[in-house]
Amino acid sequence: MVTVMELYRLLPGTNCKKCGESTCMAFAVALLSRKKNIPECIPILLENFKKQKEKLELLLLPSAGAEETGMIIHPELCTGCGNCVVACPVDVANDPRGAAVGCAPTNDKVIFKVKDGKVVALNIKECRRFGKNRVLCYACIDPCPAGAIEFV
Amino acid sequence: MGIDVGKYLKSPEYEIKITTYRDIFQAEALECDRFGAEYMKHSACLVMSKNDMVKMGLKTGNRVKLANNYGSVVVEVRESKRDEPGGIAFMVNSPWSNALVSDETGGKGIPEFKNITARISLVKDEATTLESLMGSFRK
Amino acid sequence: MVTCPGCALLCDDIEVVVENNRIKETRNTCRRGAARMKGCVNRLAPSVAQKPDDIENAIKKAAAILQNAKSPMLFGWSNSTCEAQLEGIQLAKKMSAIMDDTSSFCQGLLIERILQKKFRTCTLDDIRNKADVLVYWGSDAQDSQPRHLSRFSYFPRGELRQRGYEEDRIAIAIDVRESNTAKICKGHFYRIPPKGDREFILALMDALSGKVPAYEPKKMLELAAILKKAEFGAIFVGLGLTYSIKDDFDILIPLADKLPNFNIMPMVGHYNMRGFNEALFKETGFVNRVKFDGKAIHDSRYSIVEALRKSIDALLVVGSDPLSSLPRSVIPHLANIPVICIDPCVTLTSKIAAVTIPCAVSGVETGGSTVRMDGKRVELSKCIESNYLNDKEILARLMEAL
Repeated sequence: MVTVMELYRLLPGTNCKKCGESTCMAFAVALLSRKKNIPECIPILLENFKKQKEKLELLLLPSAGAEETGMIIHPELCTGCGNCVVACPVDVANDPRGAAVGCAPTNDKVIFKVKDGKVVALNIKECRRFGKNRVLCYACIDPCPAGAIEFV
Repeated sequence: MGIDVGKYLKSPEYEIKITTYRDIFQAEALECDRFGAEYMKHSACLVMSKNDMVKMGLKTGNRVKLANNYGSVVVEVRESKRDEPGGIAFMVNSPWSNALVSDETGGKGIPEFKNITARISLVKDEATTLESLMGSFRK
Repeated sequence: MVTCPGCALLCDDIEVVVENNRIKETRNTCRRGAARMKGCVNRLAPSVAQKPDDIENAIKKAAAILQNAKSPMLFGWSNSTCEAQLEGIQLAKKMSAIMDDTSSFCQGLLIERILQKKFRTCTLDDIRNKADVLVYWGSDAQDSQPRHLSRFSYFPRGELRQRGYEEDRIAIAIDVRESNTAKICKGHFYRIPPKGDREFILALMDALSGKVPAYEPKKMLELAAILKKAEFGAIFVGLGLTYSIKDDFDILIPLADKLPNFNIMPMVGHYNMRGFNEALFKETGFVNRVKFDGKAIHDSRYSIVEALRKSIDALLVVGSDPLSSLPRSVIPHLANIPVICIDPCVTLTSKIAAVTIPCAVSGVETGGSTVRMDGKRVELSKCIESNYLNDKEILARLMEAL
């Protein structure tokens, strides 16, 4: 997974504030959490930063497919065990008689479901990593021995 | 054209212990097509610790011959993704691992599926196919 | 809701989307269950003497082979419904045949002792509702019974375990390999050398008795302390443990005695192996390896491996692939006797069989009863229509033809 420093090193480093952030480091953090996009950095659009810009795009590519919370599911790694379905605190709260007690989800308010033996994510806005009061929740990552879920 | 010296040298042979395990991706491939390439990919394979591979001069993707008194197979080597201390290698339970298991059970009827000792050596041959494992038993 | 025949968890909360009489999508099954329910690419066709034939002839020829045999054997059974298993037992009695199933080289040692009540055991639902300490011993449930941890043992909230796994349950793995299950057990993974289980059991018993164990004393005392504190514990005995202590299996009994709050759960792979073991046990008092000869005689000579080496002259295989799952060195014996193969799919065994009889896929094309790993009866469902006979019907026809 890409780090803030990797992104920062590719930025102009002028702290010009044109992007609305106070420093290039702050912009790198915003890039990583996808609150900002590369073209919001005005200097990097110039021809002499072309290579840096391409590298940045390449680094951020894996997260391009990420949901708004930054969640990426790797279906090819998923075994369909359903640990995430049952461990996710949102699923537990939204489906106390289904997912919470280890059974198949009984409604469509859960975040995780398993189809054809692979997990799919729904209602992504319900994820605790999303929204104003977001927290750095690991409840779906820790129970997955296959590494099929990651956040970028 | 240079001479491929390696061709004339017999690869060193080591003794290893192998235990078998279950893998859901192999089980999935078995359900779908036990004669298919996917099943062979997951089965004709020996997973080793990095330590053991360095010691024996093996790299992921190399093919090795595993042989003992009960049979022999050629399989691909893969480095374990886990932090294995070494001393033991792993194969998913399949006809390939079963080629190395004795049918001698001391009259008790349970073979040593998970306790295999074999000689291992680097080879250039292709991995043993299911067809050739079956071959001699066809009527 | 239908039931998945993928493994002995028999998950009965499955939905399937059927289109044009095919299962297009499965919901809530694991990867393996999905593959089982969607079916194989090579369906078996009826054949006699390696030539295509019709099913009537195949059954007739199979009956003739069994009738001409002096010592026929009926083998497989762990992928058959209870109804087919009962029919098979009647067939074995009628023919004075040898009968064995895959538990013979799998979890038979353990199931036998559980049915003899030598171990305390419980249901998976008890574990979900009450268990606080879980020991996966030589068992990689994540790969073999993939929904075990999420449906029953570790992750779900239960009656007495409302706060979630992080606070309410401790998962422990004892294994030679850092399996996917061991990975989840993080701080409680005890790596042992192959065949090291016996020594581990002895050391653990010492630690539980307050003695300082000879083997890894610090770790063993720490483990013993966790086990002693358990209110409701479960030891999930996997094939790793069973194979490792097979020559001295009863060593597990004094350990279980020292852990009065623990239950023993057999980690069964094939979906109805326990069903067969229970049916044969009810009929004969033995879970496998029986010869019917007026009465039922139990002997390890009648295990599939030993019987193939020595005594049988015809083999009926139902829903199993011994050519694939037995040591290759025993296989030449198979090639010397006529084999009849009943299976939905082409298998290694069907390829050398004298007679092949295709059957419907249980749990997909035909229903029936099954027994979960914990002994609970679960019904399979019929999801799609099929022209194939099910294995019970085939065995009944064989019986008629005899």
